[in-house]
Amino acid sequence: MKIRTWHSFFKQGIKSAFGNKTMSVASIVAITAALCVLGVVMLVVLNLNYLMDDLESKSEVTVFLEKDVELSDIKGIEAKIKNWDGVNEVEFVSKSSALESWKEDLDDKAYLLDGYEGAENPLPHSFVIGIEKPEYTEDIASKAETLPQVMKVNYSKEVAESLGKVVHTVRLIGFVIVLILAVIAAIIIHNTVRLTVYSRRREIKIMKYIGATDWYIRWPFIIEGFTIGMTGSLIAIVIIMPLYKYVLNKLAGQHLEEGFFVNIFKLLPLGDVVNTILLVFILVGVSVGVIGSVMSIRKHLKV
Amino acid sequence: MIEFRNVEKIYSNGVKALSSASFKIENGEFVFVVGESGAGKSTILKLLLKEIDPTSGDIIVAGQNLRDMEERDIPYYRRGLGVVFQDFRLLSDRDVYDNVAFAMEIVEAPRKEIRRRVPMVLAMVGLSSKAKCYPNELSGGEQQRVSMARALVNRPSILIADEPSGNLDPATADGIMEIVEMANRRGTTVIMATHAKDIVDTMAKRVITLKNGVIVRDEEKGGYFNED
Repeated sequence: MKIRTWHSFFKQGIKSAFGNKTMSVASIVAITAALCVLGVVMLVVLNLNYLMDDLESKSEVTVFLEKDVELSDIKGIEAKIKNWDGVNEVEFVSKSSALESWKEDLDDKAYLLDGYEGAENPLPHSFVIGIEKPEYTEDIASKAETLPQVMKVNYSKEVAESLGKVVHTVRLIGFVIVLILAVIAAIIIHNTVRLTVYSRRREIKIMKYIGATDWYIRWPFIIEGFTIGMTGSLIAIVIIMPLYKYVLNKLAGQHLEEGFFVNIFKLLPLGDVVNTILLVFILVGVSVGVIGSVMSIRKHLKV
Repeated sequence: MIEFRNVEKIYSNGVKALSSASFKIENGEFVFVVGESGAGKSTILKLLLKEIDPTSGDIIVAGQNLRDMEERDIPYYRRGLGVVFQDFRLLSDRDVYDNVAFAMEIVEAPRKEIRRRVPMVLAMVGLSSKAKCYPNELSGGEQQRVSMARALVNRPSILIADEPSGNLDPATADGIMEIVEMANRRGTTVIMATHAKDIVDTMAKRVITLKNGVIVRDEEKGGYFNED
Protein backbone atom coordinates (compact mmCIF):
# COMPACT_ATOMS: atom_id res chain seq x y z
CA MET A 1 0.00 0.00 0.00
CA LYS A 2 1.03 3.56 -0.55
CA ILE A 3 2.69 5.75 2.05
CA ARG A 4 -0.24 8.15 1.79
CA THR A 5 -2.61 5.29 2.62
CA TRP A 6 -0.51 4.30 5.64
CA HIS A 7 -0.47 7.88 6.75
CA SER A 8 -4.26 7.98 6.79
CA PHE A 9 -4.42 4.57 8.52
CA PHE A 10 -2.24 5.86 11.36
CA LYS A 11 -4.16 9.10 11.61
CA GLN A 12 -7.46 7.25 11.86
CA GLY A 13 -6.17 4.55 14.21
CA ILE A 14 -4.51 6.89 16.67
CA LYS A 15 -7.45 9.28 16.57
CA SER A 16 -9.93 6.57 17.50
CA ALA A 17 -7.58 5.03 20.10
CA PHE A 18 -7.98 8.19 22.16
CA GLY A 19 -11.38 9.12 20.77
CA ASN A 20 -13.65 7.38 23.25
CA LYS A 21 -12.11 8.57 26.52
CA THR A 22 -13.76 6.19 28.98
CA MET A 23 -13.17 3.05 26.98
CA SER A 24 -9.64 4.05 26.02
CA VAL A 25 -8.73 4.70 29.62
CA ALA A 26 -10.28 1.39 30.67
CA SER A 27 -8.31 -0.48 28.01
CA ILE A 28 -5.04 1.21 28.84
CA VAL A 29 -5.49 0.65 32.58
CA ALA A 30 -6.28 -3.02 31.94
CA ILE A 31 -3.11 -3.52 29.92
CA THR A 32 -1.00 -1.55 32.37
CA ALA A 33 -2.33 -3.56 35.32
CA ALA A 34 -1.74 -6.88 33.56
CA LEU A 35 1.78 -5.87 32.63
CA CYS A 36 2.63 -4.61 36.12
CA VAL A 37 1.68 -7.99 37.58
CA LEU A 38 3.63 -9.68 34.80
CA GLY A 39 6.56 -7.43 35.61
CA VAL A 40 6.57 -8.33 39.31
CA VAL A 41 6.33 -12.04 38.51
CA MET A 42 9.10 -11.74 35.95
CA LEU A 43 11.40 -9.88 38.31
CA VAL A 44 10.84 -12.44 41.06
CA VAL A 45 11.50 -15.35 38.70
CA LEU A 46 14.52 -13.69 37.10
CA ASN A 47 16.02 -13.04 40.51
CA LEU A 48 15.28 -16.55 41.78
CA ASN A 49 16.97 -17.97 38.69
CA TYR A 50 19.90 -15.73 39.27
CA LEU A 51 20.08 -16.80 42.89
CA MET A 52 19.89 -20.44 41.85
CA ASP A 53 22.71 -20.07 39.34
CA ASP A 54 24.71 -18.36 42.01
CA LEU A 55 24.10 -21.17 44.48
CA GLU A 56 24.92 -23.79 41.91
CA SER A 57 28.18 -22.14 40.99
CA LYS A 58 29.07 -22.27 44.67
CA SER A 59 28.10 -25.89 45.13
CA GLU A 60 30.09 -27.67 47.70
CA VAL A 61 29.87 -30.81 49.76
CA THR A 62 30.70 -30.75 53.43
CA VAL A 63 31.92 -34.01 54.91
CA PHE A 64 31.84 -34.26 58.71
CA LEU A 65 34.18 -36.82 60.22
CA GLU A 66 33.74 -39.07 63.24
CA LYS A 67 34.93 -37.59 66.51
CA ASP A 68 37.62 -40.17 67.07
CA VAL A 69 39.21 -39.87 63.67
CA GLU A 70 43.01 -40.04 63.61
CA LEU A 71 45.19 -37.49 61.88
CA SER A 72 46.59 -40.18 59.58
CA ASP A 73 43.07 -41.19 58.56
CA ILE A 74 42.32 -37.56 57.75
CA LYS A 75 45.28 -37.41 55.37
CA GLY A 76 44.14 -40.62 53.71
CA ILE A 77 40.58 -39.39 53.26
CA GLU A 78 41.76 -36.10 51.83
CA ALA A 79 43.94 -37.89 49.30
CA LYS A 80 41.05 -40.12 48.24
CA ILE A 81 38.67 -37.22 47.77
CA LYS A 82 41.20 -35.29 45.73
CA ASN A 83 41.30 -38.16 43.25
CA TRP A 84 37.58 -38.08 42.46
CA ASP A 85 36.26 -36.63 39.22
CA GLY A 86 34.70 -33.20 39.50
CA VAL A 87 36.49 -32.21 42.66
CA ASN A 88 37.92 -28.72 42.47
CA GLU A 89 39.52 -28.34 45.83
CA VAL A 90 39.40 -29.92 49.23
CA GLU A 91 39.66 -27.76 52.30
CA PHE A 92 40.17 -29.28 55.70
CA VAL A 93 38.33 -27.50 58.50
CA SER A 94 39.59 -28.62 61.87
CA LYS A 95 37.24 -28.72 64.85
CA SER A 96 39.06 -25.77 66.40
CA SER A 97 38.81 -23.58 63.31
CA ALA A 98 35.12 -24.55 63.03
CA LEU A 99 34.65 -23.32 66.57
CA GLU A 100 36.54 -20.14 65.74
CA SER A 101 34.33 -19.32 62.79
CA TRP A 102 31.21 -20.08 64.84
CA LYS A 103 32.46 -17.62 67.42
CA GLU A 104 33.01 -15.06 64.72
CA ASP A 105 29.42 -15.55 63.55
CA LEU A 106 28.15 -15.06 67.07
CA ASP A 107 30.15 -11.85 67.31
CA ASP A 108 29.45 -10.21 70.71
CA LYS A 109 27.75 -13.34 71.98
CA ALA A 110 30.88 -15.40 71.37
CA TYR A 111 31.24 -15.83 75.13
CA LEU A 112 28.49 -18.43 74.90
CA LEU A 113 31.04 -20.81 73.45
CA ASP A 114 33.61 -20.19 76.17
CA GLY A 115 34.75 -23.44 77.71
CA TYR A 116 34.24 -25.52 74.61
CA GLU A 117 37.82 -25.13 73.43
CA GLY A 118 40.27 -27.99 73.16
CA ALA A 119 39.10 -31.37 74.35
CA GLU A 120 35.65 -30.00 75.18
CA ASN A 121 35.05 -28.96 71.59
CA PRO A 122 31.86 -30.81 70.48
CA LEU A 123 32.33 -30.00 66.81
CA PRO A 124 33.67 -32.55 64.32
CA HIS A 125 36.52 -32.14 61.87
CA SER A 126 35.26 -31.63 58.34
CA PHE A 127 36.20 -31.33 54.71
CA VAL A 128 34.66 -28.76 52.41
CA ILE A 129 34.77 -30.11 48.86
CA GLY A 130 34.52 -27.55 46.08
CA ILE A 131 32.73 -29.03 43.07
CA GLU A 132 33.48 -28.17 39.43
CA LYS A 133 29.90 -28.50 38.18
CA PRO A 134 26.66 -28.78 40.14
CA GLU A 135 25.74 -32.07 38.44
CA TYR A 136 28.67 -33.81 40.16
CA THR A 137 27.38 -32.84 43.58
CA GLU A 138 25.14 -35.80 44.23
CA ASP A 139 27.66 -38.33 42.99
CA ILE A 140 30.44 -36.95 45.12
CA ALA A 141 28.18 -36.70 48.15
CA SER A 142 27.17 -40.36 47.89
CA LYS A 143 30.76 -41.44 47.44
CA ALA A 144 31.73 -39.43 50.47
CA GLU A 145 29.09 -41.23 52.51
CA THR A 146 30.77 -44.58 51.86
CA LEU A 147 34.13 -43.42 53.20
CA PRO A 148 35.18 -44.78 56.57
CA GLN A 149 35.18 -42.40 59.51
CA VAL A 150 32.53 -40.19 57.91
CA MET A 151 29.72 -39.13 60.21
CA LYS A 152 27.54 -37.01 57.92
CA VAL A 153 27.58 -35.48 54.47
CA ASN A 154 25.88 -32.16 53.72
CA TYR A 155 25.49 -30.56 50.33
CA SER A 156 23.72 -27.58 48.85
CA LYS A 157 21.68 -29.59 46.38
CA GLU A 158 18.71 -29.59 48.68
CA VAL A 159 18.74 -25.85 48.81
CA ALA A 160 19.05 -25.61 45.05
CA GLU A 161 16.34 -28.20 44.58
CA SER A 162 13.81 -26.59 46.87
CA LEU A 163 14.62 -23.23 45.34
CA GLY A 164 14.01 -24.80 41.94
CA LYS A 165 10.59 -25.88 43.16
CA VAL A 166 9.86 -22.37 44.38
CA VAL A 167 10.89 -20.90 41.04
CA HIS A 168 8.72 -23.43 39.25
CA THR A 169 5.67 -22.65 41.40
CA VAL A 170 6.14 -18.91 41.17
CA ARG A 171 6.50 -19.20 37.41
CA LEU A 172 3.37 -21.32 37.12
CA ILE A 173 1.20 -19.17 39.35
CA GLY A 174 2.57 -16.05 37.71
CA PHE A 175 1.89 -17.44 34.27
CA VAL A 176 -1.72 -18.26 35.16
CA ILE A 177 -2.34 -14.84 36.71
CA VAL A 178 -0.74 -13.06 33.78
CA LEU A 179 -2.69 -15.17 31.30
CA ILE A 180 -5.98 -14.36 33.00
CA LEU A 181 -5.13 -10.66 33.12
CA ALA A 182 -4.04 -10.68 29.49
CA VAL A 183 -7.33 -12.27 28.46
CA ILE A 184 -9.26 -9.67 30.47
CA ALA A 185 -7.21 -6.89 28.88
CA ALA A 186 -7.80 -8.35 25.41
CA ILE A 187 -11.54 -8.51 26.06
CA ILE A 188 -11.63 -4.89 27.21
CA ILE A 189 -9.63 -3.77 24.18
CA HIS A 190 -11.85 -5.93 22.02
CA ASN A 191 -14.84 -4.00 23.34
CA THR A 192 -13.18 -0.63 22.88
CA VAL A 193 -12.30 -1.33 19.28
CA ARG A 194 -15.72 -2.87 18.76
CA LEU A 195 -17.25 0.48 19.68
CA THR A 196 -15.20 2.15 16.97
CA VAL A 197 -16.02 -0.63 14.53
CA TYR A 198 -19.69 -0.31 15.42
CA SER A 199 -19.74 3.45 14.96
CA ARG A 200 -18.06 2.98 11.61
CA ARG A 201 -19.98 -0.09 10.44
CA ARG A 202 -21.80 1.87 7.74
CA GLU A 203 -18.53 3.15 6.44
CA ILE A 204 -17.08 -0.36 6.50
CA LYS A 205 -20.03 -1.68 4.53
CA ILE A 206 -19.72 1.06 1.95
CA MET A 207 -16.00 0.41 1.71
CA LYS A 208 -16.69 -3.26 1.09
CA TYR A 209 -19.17 -2.43 -1.70
CA ILE A 210 -16.77 -0.05 -3.37
CA GLY A 211 -14.07 -2.72 -3.36
CA ALA A 212 -11.79 -1.99 -0.41
CA THR A 213 -9.68 -4.99 0.55
CA ASP A 214 -10.15 -6.46 4.02
CA TRP A 215 -6.67 -5.30 4.98
CA TYR A 216 -7.45 -1.77 3.90
CA ILE A 217 -10.37 -1.83 6.34
CA ARG A 218 -8.53 -3.72 9.06
CA TRP A 219 -5.38 -1.65 9.38
CA PRO A 220 -6.79 1.45 11.10
CA PHE A 221 -8.39 -0.78 13.75
CA ILE A 222 -5.21 -2.75 14.23
CA ILE A 223 -3.32 0.50 14.66
CA GLU A 224 -5.94 1.55 17.21
CA GLY A 225 -5.35 -1.66 19.18
CA PHE A 226 -1.61 -1.28 18.76
CA THR A 227 -1.70 2.28 20.08
CA ILE A 228 -3.73 1.28 23.13
CA GLY A 229 -1.40 -1.67 23.79
CA MET A 230 1.72 0.43 23.32
CA THR A 231 0.46 3.18 25.64
CA GLY A 232 -0.40 0.61 28.30
CA SER A 233 3.07 -0.96 28.00
CA LEU A 234 4.88 2.34 28.27
CA ILE A 235 2.92 3.31 31.37
CA ALA A 236 3.66 -0.11 32.91
CA ILE A 237 7.37 0.34 32.19
CA VAL A 238 7.31 3.77 33.80
CA ILE A 239 5.71 2.20 36.90
CA ILE A 240 7.72 -1.01 37.22
CA MET A 241 11.23 0.27 36.53
CA PRO A 242 11.39 2.93 39.26
CA LEU A 243 9.67 0.47 41.61
CA TYR A 244 12.42 -2.10 41.06
CA LYS A 245 15.05 0.58 41.46
CA TYR A 246 13.44 1.57 44.75
CA VAL A 247 13.52 -2.05 45.97
CA LEU A 248 17.16 -2.35 44.92
CA ASN A 249 18.10 0.79 46.81
CA LYS A 250 16.13 -0.32 49.84
CA LEU A 251 17.94 -3.66 49.91
CA ALA A 252 21.28 -2.01 49.23
CA GLY A 253 20.68 0.00 52.39
CA GLN A 254 20.07 -3.21 54.31
CA HIS A 255 23.24 -4.77 52.92
CA LEU A 256 25.23 -2.30 54.89
CA GLU A 257 23.39 -3.05 58.12
CA GLU A 258 23.19 -6.82 57.87
CA GLY A 259 25.99 -8.67 56.20
CA PHE A 260 23.59 -11.54 55.72
CA PHE A 261 21.84 -9.97 52.76
CA VAL A 262 24.99 -9.27 50.83
CA ASN A 263 25.61 -12.94 50.41
CA ILE A 264 22.19 -14.45 49.96
CA PHE A 265 19.85 -11.88 48.48
CA LYS A 266 21.86 -10.39 45.70
CA LEU A 267 19.31 -8.90 43.26
CA LEU A 268 19.95 -8.45 39.58
CA PRO A 269 21.02 -4.89 38.80
CA LEU A 270 18.52 -2.74 36.89
CA GLY A 271 20.67 -2.77 33.77
CA ASP A 272 20.40 -6.56 33.52
CA VAL A 273 16.60 -6.66 33.58
CA VAL A 274 15.70 -3.49 31.72
CA ASN A 275 15.99 -4.99 28.23
CA THR A 276 14.01 -8.11 29.05
CA ILE A 277 11.24 -6.13 30.72
CA LEU A 278 11.07 -3.60 27.88
CA LEU A 279 10.91 -6.31 25.26
CA VAL A 280 8.34 -8.47 27.03
CA PHE A 281 6.11 -5.54 28.01
CA ILE A 282 5.98 -4.05 24.54
CA LEU A 283 5.55 -7.47 22.92
CA VAL A 284 2.75 -8.55 25.25
CA GLY A 285 1.04 -5.14 25.32
CA VAL A 286 1.07 -4.74 21.58
CA SER A 287 -0.05 -8.28 20.81
CA VAL A 288 -2.89 -8.13 23.32
CA GLY A 289 -3.99 -4.84 21.72
CA VAL A 290 -3.75 -6.14 18.19
CA ILE A 291 -5.46 -9.47 18.96
CA GLY A 292 -8.27 -7.62 20.73
CA SER A 293 -8.90 -5.40 17.73
CA VAL A 294 -8.61 -8.13 15.09
CA MET A 295 -11.31 -10.05 16.96
CA SER A 296 -13.64 -7.05 16.85
CA ILE A 297 -13.45 -6.46 13.10
CA ARG A 298 -13.81 -10.04 11.95
CA LYS A 299 -17.60 -10.13 12.06
CA HIS A 300 -18.03 -6.87 10.18
CA LEU A 301 -15.87 -7.83 7.26
CA LYS A 302 -18.32 -10.45 6.07
CA VAL A 303 -20.22 -8.41 3.46
CA MET B 1 -21.56 -9.88 -20.24
CA ILE B 2 -23.54 -11.11 -17.26
CA GLU B 3 -25.15 -14.53 -17.24
CA PHE B 4 -27.34 -16.29 -14.67
CA ARG B 5 -27.66 -20.04 -15.26
CA ASN B 6 -30.39 -21.77 -13.28
CA VAL B 7 -29.60 -19.75 -10.23
CA GLU B 8 -31.39 -20.72 -7.06
CA LYS B 9 -31.08 -19.03 -3.70
CA ILE B 10 -32.52 -20.40 -0.50
CA TYR B 11 -31.65 -18.34 2.57
CA SER B 12 -30.60 -20.03 5.79
CA ASN B 13 -34.06 -19.35 7.25
CA GLY B 14 -35.53 -21.53 4.50
CA VAL B 15 -36.94 -18.73 2.36
CA LYS B 16 -36.61 -19.49 -1.32
CA ALA B 17 -35.74 -16.10 -2.78
CA LEU B 18 -34.90 -17.15 -6.29
CA SER B 19 -35.55 -20.31 -8.28
CA SER B 20 -34.03 -21.43 -11.58
CA ALA B 21 -33.31 -17.91 -12.75
CA SER B 22 -31.62 -17.77 -16.13
CA PHE B 23 -30.86 -14.69 -18.20
CA LYS B 24 -28.08 -12.96 -20.10
CA ILE B 25 -27.25 -9.28 -20.10
CA GLU B 26 -25.00 -7.99 -22.85
CA ASN B 27 -22.38 -5.31 -22.35
CA GLY B 28 -23.88 -1.84 -22.47
CA GLU B 29 -27.43 -3.06 -21.91
CA PHE B 30 -29.94 -1.31 -19.66
CA VAL B 31 -32.11 -3.70 -17.69
CA PHE B 32 -34.86 -3.08 -15.17
CA VAL B 33 -35.56 -5.77 -12.62
CA VAL B 34 -39.12 -5.32 -11.35
CA GLY B 35 -41.46 -7.12 -9.01
CA GLU B 36 -43.14 -6.72 -5.66
CA SER B 37 -41.21 -6.54 -2.40
CA GLY B 38 -39.76 -9.95 -1.68
CA ALA B 39 -39.97 -11.04 -5.32
CA GLY B 40 -36.20 -11.54 -5.46
CA LYS B 41 -34.92 -8.27 -6.97
CA SER B 42 -32.48 -7.51 -4.18
CA THR B 43 -31.34 -11.12 -4.14
CA ILE B 44 -30.27 -10.81 -7.78
CA LEU B 45 -28.30 -7.65 -7.01
CA LYS B 46 -26.68 -9.18 -3.91
CA LEU B 47 -25.69 -12.22 -5.92
CA LEU B 48 -24.14 -9.96 -8.54
CA LEU B 49 -22.16 -8.13 -5.86
CA LYS B 50 -21.12 -11.50 -4.47
CA GLU B 51 -22.43 -10.41 -1.12
CA ILE B 52 -24.18 -13.77 -1.05
CA ASP B 53 -23.61 -16.99 -2.99
CA PRO B 54 -26.26 -18.95 -4.88
CA THR B 55 -27.50 -22.21 -3.43
CA SER B 56 -27.13 -23.72 -6.89
CA GLY B 57 -26.53 -22.55 -10.43
CA ASP B 58 -23.83 -20.32 -11.89
CA ILE B 59 -23.35 -16.60 -12.26
CA ILE B 60 -20.84 -15.52 -14.86
CA VAL B 61 -19.63 -11.94 -15.06
CA ALA B 62 -17.17 -10.90 -17.76
CA GLY B 63 -16.26 -14.53 -18.37
CA GLN B 64 -15.64 -15.32 -14.72
CA ASN B 65 -17.79 -17.71 -12.73
CA LEU B 66 -18.44 -16.02 -9.38
CA ARG B 67 -18.55 -19.43 -7.74
CA ASP B 68 -14.84 -19.94 -8.44
CA MET B 69 -13.85 -16.50 -7.24
CA GLU B 70 -11.47 -16.48 -4.28
CA GLU B 71 -12.48 -14.49 -1.21
CA ARG B 72 -9.49 -12.19 -1.62
CA ASP B 73 -10.40 -11.37 -5.23
CA ILE B 74 -13.87 -10.08 -4.36
CA PRO B 75 -12.72 -6.49 -3.66
CA TYR B 76 -11.03 -6.30 -7.06
CA TYR B 77 -14.12 -7.70 -8.75
CA ARG B 78 -16.30 -5.10 -6.99
CA ARG B 79 -14.10 -2.29 -8.26
CA GLY B 80 -15.55 -2.99 -11.67
CA LEU B 81 -19.06 -2.43 -10.30
CA GLY B 82 -20.72 0.81 -9.26
CA VAL B 83 -23.45 0.50 -6.63
CA VAL B 84 -26.27 2.86 -5.72
CA PHE B 85 -28.76 2.23 -2.93
CA GLN B 86 -32.19 3.51 -2.12
CA ASP B 87 -30.90 5.01 1.15
CA PHE B 88 -27.87 6.70 -0.48
CA ARG B 89 -25.40 5.44 2.16
CA LEU B 90 -23.24 8.52 2.29
CA LEU B 91 -20.74 9.20 5.05
CA SER B 92 -22.28 11.94 7.15
CA ASP B 93 -18.96 13.21 8.52
CA ARG B 94 -17.50 13.96 5.09
CA ASP B 95 -18.47 16.62 2.59
CA VAL B 96 -19.67 15.87 -0.92
CA TYR B 97 -16.20 16.05 -2.44
CA ASP B 98 -14.73 13.68 0.15
CA ASN B 99 -17.61 11.23 -0.16
CA VAL B 100 -16.79 10.86 -3.83
CA ALA B 101 -13.01 11.00 -3.40
CA PHE B 102 -13.35 8.27 -0.76
CA ALA B 103 -14.24 5.73 -3.47
CA MET B 104 -11.01 6.57 -5.28
CA GLU B 105 -8.89 6.60 -2.13
CA ILE B 106 -10.00 3.09 -1.30
CA VAL B 107 -8.69 1.79 -4.59
CA GLU B 108 -5.56 3.88 -4.02
CA ALA B 109 -5.95 6.00 -7.12
CA PRO B 110 -3.17 8.56 -7.62
CA ARG B 111 -3.91 11.82 -5.86
CA LYS B 112 -3.60 13.76 -9.10
CA GLU B 113 -6.19 11.54 -10.67
CA ILE B 114 -8.54 12.06 -7.70
CA ARG B 115 -8.22 15.83 -7.98
CA ARG B 116 -8.98 15.65 -11.68
CA ARG B 117 -11.83 13.16 -11.70
CA VAL B 118 -13.91 14.06 -8.64
CA PRO B 119 -14.79 17.59 -9.89
CA MET B 120 -15.51 16.12 -13.31
CA VAL B 121 -17.99 13.60 -11.94
CA LEU B 122 -19.56 16.18 -9.63
CA ALA B 123 -20.10 18.41 -12.68
CA MET B 124 -21.67 15.48 -14.49
CA VAL B 125 -24.26 14.98 -11.72
CA GLY B 126 -24.75 18.73 -11.41
CA LEU B 127 -23.32 19.20 -7.94
CA SER B 128 -20.19 21.27 -8.58
CA SER B 129 -21.48 24.07 -6.40
CA LYS B 130 -22.21 21.76 -3.46
CA ALA B 131 -18.80 20.10 -3.19
CA LYS B 132 -18.22 21.55 0.27
CA CYS B 133 -21.67 20.65 1.63
CA TYR B 134 -22.29 17.82 4.07
CA PRO B 135 -24.95 15.18 3.30
CA ASN B 136 -27.38 16.55 5.90
CA GLU B 137 -27.34 19.90 4.11
CA LEU B 138 -28.55 18.31 0.88
CA SER B 139 -31.97 17.27 -0.37
CA GLY B 140 -32.70 13.59 -1.00
CA GLY B 141 -32.22 14.02 -4.74
CA GLU B 142 -28.89 15.75 -4.23
CA GLN B 143 -27.74 13.02 -1.85
CA GLN B 144 -28.62 10.39 -4.40
CA ARG B 145 -26.61 12.30 -7.00
CA VAL B 146 -23.62 12.25 -4.68
CA SER B 147 -24.03 8.53 -4.34
CA MET B 148 -24.29 8.27 -8.16
CA ALA B 149 -21.10 10.28 -8.48
CA ARG B 150 -19.41 7.95 -6.00
CA ALA B 151 -20.60 4.90 -7.92
CA LEU B 152 -19.41 6.27 -11.26
CA VAL B 153 -16.13 7.93 -10.30
CA ASN B 154 -14.11 4.73 -10.71
CA ARG B 155 -15.64 4.19 -14.16
CA PRO B 156 -17.33 0.87 -13.47
CA SER B 157 -18.32 -1.31 -16.40
CA ILE B 158 -21.52 -2.29 -14.58
CA LEU B 159 -23.80 -0.02 -12.55
CA ILE B 160 -26.02 -1.78 -10.04
CA ALA B 161 -28.84 0.33 -8.66
CA ASP B 162 -31.22 -0.85 -5.95
CA GLU B 163 -34.32 1.34 -6.17
CA PRO B 164 -32.31 4.53 -6.53
CA SER B 165 -35.42 6.64 -6.91
CA GLY B 166 -37.39 4.86 -4.21
CA ASN B 167 -37.14 7.74 -1.72
CA LEU B 168 -37.48 10.56 -4.23
CA ASP B 169 -40.38 12.50 -5.73
CA PRO B 170 -41.05 11.87 -9.45
CA ALA B 171 -39.35 15.04 -10.74
CA THR B 172 -36.20 14.38 -8.73
CA ALA B 173 -36.28 10.74 -9.75
CA ASP B 174 -36.23 11.80 -13.39
CA GLY B 175 -33.06 13.76 -12.74
CA ILE B 176 -31.43 10.65 -11.30
CA MET B 177 -32.58 8.58 -14.27
CA GLU B 178 -30.98 11.09 -16.63
CA ILE B 179 -27.64 10.47 -14.96
CA VAL B 180 -28.12 6.71 -15.16
CA GLU B 181 -28.97 6.98 -18.84
CA MET B 182 -25.96 9.16 -19.46
CA ALA B 183 -23.71 6.56 -17.86
CA ASN B 184 -25.43 3.90 -19.97
CA ARG B 185 -24.84 5.89 -23.16
CA ARG B 186 -21.15 5.96 -22.29
CA GLY B 187 -21.14 2.17 -22.33
CA THR B 188 -21.87 1.24 -18.71
CA THR B 189 -24.13 -1.79 -18.32
CA VAL B 190 -27.01 -0.83 -16.01
CA ILE B 191 -29.04 -3.19 -13.86
CA MET B 192 -31.69 -1.43 -11.82
CA ALA B 193 -34.16 -2.90 -9.40
CA THR B 194 -37.17 -0.66 -9.10
CA HIS B 195 -40.78 -0.20 -8.11
CA ALA B 196 -41.22 2.92 -10.19
CA LYS B 197 -43.83 2.02 -12.78
CA ASP B 198 -43.65 5.43 -14.51
CA ILE B 199 -39.95 5.26 -15.04
CA VAL B 200 -40.03 1.72 -16.39
CA ASP B 201 -42.88 2.45 -18.73
CA THR B 202 -41.53 5.71 -20.14
CA MET B 203 -37.96 4.49 -20.66
CA ALA B 204 -38.95 1.43 -22.64
CA LYS B 205 -35.90 -0.66 -21.80
CA ARG B 206 -35.53 -4.38 -21.21
CA VAL B 207 -37.56 -5.49 -18.19
CA ILE B 208 -37.11 -8.67 -16.17
CA THR B 209 -40.19 -9.27 -14.02
CA LEU B 210 -39.96 -11.42 -10.91
CA LYS B 211 -42.73 -13.00 -8.90
CA ASN B 212 -42.06 -15.06 -5.80
CA GLY B 213 -38.51 -15.67 -6.86
CA VAL B 214 -39.38 -16.77 -10.39
CA ILE B 215 -38.73 -14.81 -13.58
CA VAL B 216 -42.19 -14.54 -15.07
CA ARG B 217 -41.36 -12.18 -17.93
CA ASP B 218 -38.26 -10.96 -19.73
CA GLU B 219 -39.03 -8.49 -22.49
CA GLU B 220 -37.14 -6.06 -24.70
CA LYS B 221 -38.70 -2.59 -24.44
CA GLY B 222 -41.03 -3.91 -21.77
CA GLY B 223 -43.31 -2.23 -19.28
CA TYR B 224 -44.21 -2.58 -15.66
CA PHE B 225 -47.00 -5.10 -15.41
CA ASN B 226 -49.34 -5.49 -12.53
CA GLU B 227 -50.45 -9.05 -12.33
CA ASP B 228 -53.63 -8.32 -10.47
